[in-house]
Amino acid sequence: MVEKTKGAAQAEAVEALRQNWTETERVILSRRSVRLYRKEQVPEFMVRRILEAGRFAPSAGNSQPWKFVVLRDPELIEGITRTVVDICKKMTGIIEYRRAGASWRRPLVKGFIRLRPNELHPTPFSAMGMIADGRLGLWHGAPTVILIFKDVRGVSNPDLDCGIAGQNMVLAAHSMGLGTCWVGFAKLAFEYTDQWKKRLGIEYPYRFASSLSVGWPVGKPDGMVGRQTHPVDWYENGQKKTLY
Amino acid sequence: MARLGFRDRLRVPTYGDPEQIQPGEVAFDRDKCSGCGICAQACPAKAILFEDKRPRLKPPSQNECIACGDCVAICPEGAIRVVKGYHYTGFYKTIDHGDIQPPRL
Repeated sequence: MVEKTKGAAQAEAVEALRQNWTETERVILSRRSVRLYRKEQVPEFMVRRILEAGRFAPSAGNSQPWKFVVLRDPELIEGITRTVVDICKKMTGIIEYRRAGASWRRPLVKGFIRLRPNELHPTPFSAMGMIADGRLGLWHGAPTVILIFKDVRGVSNPDLDCGIAGQNMVLAAHSMGLGTCWVGFAKLAFEYTDQWKKRLGIEYPYRFASSLSVGWPVGKPDGMVGRQTHPVDWYENGQKKTLY
Repeated sequence: MARLGFRDRLRVPTYGDPEQIQPGEVAFDRDKCSGCGICAQACPAKAILFEDKRPRLKPPSQNECIACGDCVAICPEGAIRVVKGYHYTGFYKTIDHGDIQPPRL
């Protein structure tokens, strides 16, 4: 009798799921990267709650291979931004082969692209130029920045664990009505110069993994949008099907 | 489904060549658009030109739309749609991308 009741309750819950997204799914599906922020600071307790979401992320062997650094001093945020802009200017000056008179660099740059296929992928390649000439911000004027450093001695794949912790923080922030954006470009200030590592006391075993901008968004940037589907291979009952 | 062949892998595409690096595309509903311009501000790729209170996509050689949908989500009038994903060739050949679909229950 008890079993039957349990079964009925579950069927009801499943039927409800067929009709509606859960709160968690809504946050996941509506989260957009936010690049327009209001100047008003985020209350400290909200940032601490976001950090708690990161602290409770799963990691390989529960190794928790991360260090979070919160920046809320405009002097630091602007200083690191200036360093990144300067490095982007220098790199763009060398590798941008699309400007007039630079096409002779094309084969050379394509060689660099082969050597650094992720950093010089078409998207960051263009973004680098936009950051260099001020068309794209680094942290987009967000009043709070969370830097994520990985402990390079972590179990298996510390970059991945930092990503998992970071996305926990992002989703927690969006569930509170805040906006966030993943910002990998800050890497330039921590990997191509010692200045900011020294200033913030970052040393071995910590290395830059990524960063998040956090703030109150301008307008209502979150919402569900269309996106490409991907084929998913599905093996069941000895057969394979492909879902989109 | 397309595969990344050996010859694809050998060739690094020329950035900015719309034959080799095809950008994403969004469509604007002229009737719904109120001309606020927040789409152009929100676009991370700066792919939206906002002139005479009307948004439009930059021409293919300058358009670097990544089909992220930030403009779609922020538009207060619901006047924008992602109609095409980006499509790269050669070493960065886009594989395993299907149609544009909203979240499906």
